[in-house]
Amino acid sequence: MLKKAIALSAGVLMLSGCATPTRYVDPAADDGPVAMTMDYRDFEKAATEAVEDMLASGAVVNPNGGRYIMVVSRITNDTMQRIDTDQLTKKIRVSLLRSGKVVTTTAVGLNGAEDEMTMRARELRNSEEFDQSGVQKKGTLQAPDLSLSGKILQRNHKVGSEQQVEYYIQLSLTDLASGLAFWEGETPIVKRGSNSSVSW
Amino acid sequence: MKVSLISLFLILALVVGGCATKPETNASVERQELKVDPEILYALTVSELFEDRLPQADGSSLLQVQFAVDVHSNADLAWKVTWFDDTGMTVKGVGEGYRKATLITGQTRYFRATAPHSRVASYQLHLREPQ
Repeated sequence: MLKKAIALSAGVLMLSGCATPTRYVDPAADDGPVAMTMDYRDFEKAATEAVEDMLASGAVVNPNGGRYIMVVSRITNDTMQRIDTDQLTKKIRVSLLRSGKVVTTTAVGLNGAEDEMTMRARELRNSEEFDQSGVQKKGTLQAPDLSLSGKILQRNHKVGSEQQVEYYIQLSLTDLASGLAFWEGETPIVKRGSNSSVSW
Repeated sequence: MKVSLISLFLILALVVGGCATKPETNASVERQELKVDPEILYALTVSELFEDRLPQADGSSLLQVQFAVDVHSNADLAWKVTWFDDTGMTVKGVGEGYRKATLITGQTRYFRATAPHSRVASYQLHLREPQ
């Protein structure tokens, strides 16, 4: 019995010794293996292409000066994975904000405000508990000029003994005054790998 | 007496101030616009490198860089542009990662990148082979 316990302990120790150590990955120098699913490098590629194309097209430049106000609309996830589309839109928002051309409103959204505090803070109006000079006045919120919407699609194919997974990241930037799409872009991300790899 | 003492003190202060070490404001090594790692040189030659400023409707302009490579041998390429403002400080782009491309022998591939902000004044393009 004791011999068995010792052998088992030794086996566990040996296996844990062989395990790959956990390490940090530097996104600026990541040549690591590619997954069949969408990873951060795919979102970065799509966001880079979208932002560079938006800036180069001039679609996000307000000819009257100042910054355009953008709202993030629906980004549909039509893939087999559970994707938080904020992973994509946040990169785009941050980059457009840094460009000095666009600012995103968090006070409006399809499913309510992204930051509900904008409206909650206004509920303090007429409250005797709060110094009213610091409470937000009526008519100060800014309505959006542009809306960012899109879709992430996935298509799977068998290619010989391998499988091919295609992702399409489609984005539109709509001018809310006219309803016209000022900018549209599509980034295809195609991966080919073992049939045993899972893409969901 | 008092006036001459004050004058002497002022002169001394000026002399000492003039000797103070000025902060380093220039780069110690001149930055190359194009950096190609030797490991990838067997596979390609950079045949073109253009830069242009795209005029914007608000009066500003954006730096855009385009380069072409002539491919001698099938290879994978990783490339990245780092952006700098007129003081030489880096300007953040969307991501930090290298962009990847698969090159085929005989091909001439063109790549383009647009600066993330109108204050970008210069750049450094780095080409390397992914590990």
